[in-house]
Amino acid sequence: MAMSANLLAVPVAAPLLTAALILLFARWGGRTLIRHQIALTTLALCINLVVAVLLFRAAAGQGQRFVLQLGDWSAPFGITVYGDGLSTTLLLLTALVALAVYPFAVATIDYHRARMGFHPLYLFLLMGVNGAFLAGDLFNLYVFFEVLLMASFVLLTIGAQPAQTNSGIRYVVLNLLASTVFLVAAGIAYGTLGTLNFAQIAERLPLASPAVRTVFAGLLLVGFGSKAAIFPLFFWLPASYHTPPPAVTALFGGLLTKVGVYTLFRSFTLFFPELLLSWQPTLLTIAGATMLVGALGALAQPGIRRVLSFHIISHVGFMLMGLAVALSGNSLAVGFGLGAAIIYLCHHMIIKTALIMAGGAVELYMGSDRLASIGGLVSRQPLLAFLFFMAAISLAGVPPFSGFVSKLSLLQITLDTRHWVVAGVSVFASLLTMMNMMRLWRESFWGDYSRPSRIPSRILQSRARQQLMLTPVALLVLLSLALGILGEPAFRLSMQVAQQALDRQAYIEAVSPSSQVSALQIHSHTFEVETVSTTRP
Amino acid sequence: MPELYLRFLNRILTPVLLLLSLYLLLRGHNLPGGGFIAGLMAAAAFQLQILSRGHDRVRRTIGPYLNSGIGLGLAIAICSGIVGLLDGFFFKGVWFSLNLPLLGYLKIGTPVIFDLGVFLVVVSVATSYLLGLSRVSDAAALLRRDTDSPVPPDSPASVLWDANVETGPGADS
Repeated sequence: MAMSANLLAVPVAAPLLTAALILLFARWGGRTLIRHQIALTTLALCINLVVAVLLFRAAAGQGQRFVLQLGDWSAPFGITVYGDGLSTTLLLLTALVALAVYPFAVATIDYHRARMGFHPLYLFLLMGVNGAFLAGDLFNLYVFFEVLLMASFVLLTIGAQPAQTNSGIRYVVLNLLASTVFLVAAGIAYGTLGTLNFAQIAERLPLASPAVRTVFAGLLLVGFGSKAAIFPLFFWLPASYHTPPPAVTALFGGLLTKVGVYTLFRSFTLFFPELLLSWQPTLLTIAGATMLVGALGALAQPGIRRVLSFHIISHVGFMLMGLAVALSGNSLAVGFGLGAAIIYLCHHMIIKTALIMAGGAVELYMGSDRLASIGGLVSRQPLLAFLFFMAAISLAGVPPFSGFVSKLSLLQITLDTRHWVVAGVSVFASLLTMMNMMRLWRESFWGDYSRPSRIPSRILQSRARQQLMLTPVALLVLLSLALGILGEPAFRLSMQVAQQALDRQAYIEAVSPSSQVSALQIHSHTFEVETVSTTRP
Repeated sequence: MPELYLRFLNRILTPVLLLLSLYLLLRGHNLPGGGFIAGLMAAAAFQLQILSRGHDRVRRTIGPYLNSGIGLGLAIAICSGIVGLLDGFFFKGVWFSLNLPLLGYLKIGTPVIFDLGVFLVVVSVATSYLLGLSRVSDAAALLRRDTDSPVPPDSPASVLWDANVETGPGADS
């Protein structure tokens, strides 16, 4: 048990150690060095995937909860690393997305950017995301948020084009504001509850005054919500996602907002499940507005990546809708909504990454992603056109792809709980998604072939690089197809994960935070610590 | 060229700062101190070097090793956590007793190794910030010198300049 809990350290330690080694030798060598960096990074990504699969099988498949108390210090005093079905599902998807985007990045990132540390930054970002999924207390969650924010900021501005710097500043300012709100929430938790440990907060929050609970929940909703890009707080996303190299956008689109979604899932189910019922109208309104704004905003966008980044927002709305109805259900089981949201999350991470990569490939071939100036690529790149089409209809929710299963289950729960308006909005948003995807496909692949505005860079003319770009897209589309065809077992698994996430008591027992100082078992030379209760009167 | 007193202070203060940072690093296990503060103090020593000898020279001597320093520090810190697996838990403190020939027994634990890693990271990161900032401030100084430079009194530029001054600040747009 102890050894297997130590596996939880790997998703953080392996990328960090590899990045450290890369930095250590970054001084010596030229192109050969980059080749070694790529080999090392691939190795780390593979190790990460293997460990994520092992953890996922034990946690989501068998319902195990992994708890690692770093350095054997017991819960509220040491650092708790926690992995259950929800965290390990996200770990697994993150590992998949990171490994899938990497070949695309290797094929498209130029030597100059690689010399500026693209590969170690990729690993730092992965480490930050993994750490946020595994954090068992608010402070470490904050730290990993900052790690991933810093890594993503550098990745966003790497190469220092003026547009990149411009969007990078907006991105970092708005995200730092969100982090500040989150930090204030952590401060309030520590000031009123005397703890930052998730399990202990969950234990003590019902005893706190309603005002504290409301403020804490509100601040977390604002902080995490703006990381997740929910309705009024999404501005940083469309302002920044279209400027970096396409590989970076694919990675961001697959991973970043999902950290916010995960923290919303985690905090609402663990800290204040009762608010899922009393705040349900608010949450559903936000969810509906997010879906609608994302889909409508996408209609007005002129470029592929801009359209796709607005769709990320729209999809976050679907996930929030699933969370909002997590505890309701007339004929369906409690937790059905959360299960549907989790499977939607899986679908979204897989297919969004594939679609952004395919869109990025179009952009690289045509030298521009403005829909007005591209077209007719179907004759030159039939495989890319096919993959883009498959990914697009999966995103729009056409069977037999994963989009259908996940949208259907979300619709089922909203209809079951009689939230007619939000159900209607979600159908309308799906329709708009379909329209948008068809628009993207038609504009970029149909029609007369328009000459690229820039000569496609030399790297794209190599066959090996083309394969590196398209193989991961094909594999992700296949994965989405598999998730759609194996919808029932996948859904059963995600229901289990949702039930596990909703079981607060088991979380608290698994971590078993102690409120006694004696739990520290300090045997100092000079004094014996008396048993002092740290619970506040 | 920097002031004489700065060069003089540098000779005295740099070794003191470096020794003090080493002291802070080692006492950090039980008392206030530790890798982070020690790293900042060592970076202050490097900043003194930058001020007194110019950033170009410092960049030439230690600049190339800064990234490697960050990497080495991170690797050491993580490895000290991995050593804890010997005792069953990641990051569990493990102590070894070394029998050194002249000094007698030395008890060394993973926390101090972790601190050493933190120290290296902080020194390298802070020094590379300082080097970067000194380049920026150098550029700013150059810019200022250009605009402040006295214009020869007979040149057309000086006439323009005077005209702007006379018509007030609103006219120089």
